[in-house]
Amino acid sequence: MNGAATKSHPFTPGAVALGLIALTLILPAPRGTLAMYALTIVIALACGLGRSVWLGLLAVAPLWLLLFISQGMLGEGPRVAAPWGGTLSVAGLQWTVAQGARLGAIITASLALAATFNAHRFLQAAMARRWPFGVAFLIVATFDAAARFAEQARRLREAQRSRGLRVRGSIAIRARAIPALVFPLLLASITEADDHALALETRGLTLPGPRTAIDPPRDTLLDRTVRWGTLALVLFAAGWRVWR
Amino acid sequence: MNVSPRLFALVPAAVAINLVVGRVVAELGLPVYLDTLGTMLVAILTGLGGGLLVGTLSQILSGLLGGFTYFPFTPVQWLIALLATVAARRGGFRGVPSSVGWGMTCGLAAGLLSAPISYFLFGGITTPGMAAVVTLLQALGLANVTATATASILSDVVDKTAAFLVVGTLLRALPKRILGRFAMAATAVGK
Repeated sequence: MNGAATKSHPFTPGAVALGLIALTLILPAPRGTLAMYALTIVIALACGLGRSVWLGLLAVAPLWLLLFISQGMLGEGPRVAAPWGGTLSVAGLQWTVAQGARLGAIITASLALAATFNAHRFLQAAMARRWPFGVAFLIVATFDAAARFAEQARRLREAQRSRGLRVRGSIAIRARAIPALVFPLLLASITEADDHALALETRGLTLPGPRTAIDPPRDTLLDRTVRWGTLALVLFAAGWRVWR
Repeated sequence: MNVSPRLFALVPAAVAINLVVGRVVAELGLPVYLDTLGTMLVAILTGLGGGLLVGTLSQILSGLLGGFTYFPFTPVQWLIALLATVAARRGGFRGVPSSVGWGMTCGLAAGLLSAPISYFLFGGITTPGMAAVVTLLQALGLANVTATATASILSDVVDKTAAFLVVGTLLRALPKRILGRFAMAATAVGK
């Protein structure tokens, strides 16, 4: 988390991640998608985001296995002999490699972006750019709410378990735990809405006009070059795929 | 963007509900997702626009946290917001039977919409749970397209029925003081 990505302008990691995802979808499979997955890993590691690479691998590994079974082993069309006996679908194997690399690149880029995203720096940058304040606020407030509700859910689960709630056992037993774990969260979201709305209104959230960014993140020449370079690369790749 | 302060307060909480409840249910290991409760709730409380906003933001955020592979399923969230609004206007949350009926209808529609997205973009392999069901159905002899459609529809019918039941139970349990603030919610439960 201490790498270049977290120190850069908040829009730069987003632009790079979206660019990598776009290139993964644009470039021809399987070589293009494999190359993009490799590039995503290299960029993440270079930015000190090795944990995101590892988490991405953990997330995508079960999908690779299921892709291999679903497409490679059970797929249709011409077949080749498998090294351990039996046969594998040629088209299924190609799809497995292409889709596996695509999912790997997309998930790794997303997790790396999430690891570098700082909601409050993003809000400052959006205000400095004169983005509509409502849009920027909703993004930041949503991140804050997600963290708050996740913590609330964790505490709720512990409290309910200490009161005898069972979260293990048959499906019926686990299903009965849903109301105790979910209803308080849903109720809180409704009952607190008016208090929050009043607080937001008294702080002038809905007032028209531009906001002043108190501490806008620096947008360096390197940041701008990376963002424009990424966009140019994506446009070039899209053009190449269309016209070649 | 003209958003009321109440919607500014509700939308982030509802998106968080979608994400957090989805995670709570996943930890319980149940064959449902319940990751559209916030979308449904806001659609019922404030109308279709709020539901669409929550659905879109939820997909963006879950994409950011878990991979943008979920993003193509955004229209499914929109469809759920639309059907929850229609159900609320017609008193679809009055009791358990009507909630189940609307939930199954919504699940069928959501399954029919998500199946082609899942098949054409991902070959049926989206989440590990769904992928396991698709693979199992293929192993039983179904073609990939049939397996993907069957898995999508079955899981969505079960999930949305459960979601409508949860939201209906919650709305009926709300005190009149709170229901009075949201006209459509009162219509939804027939009060």
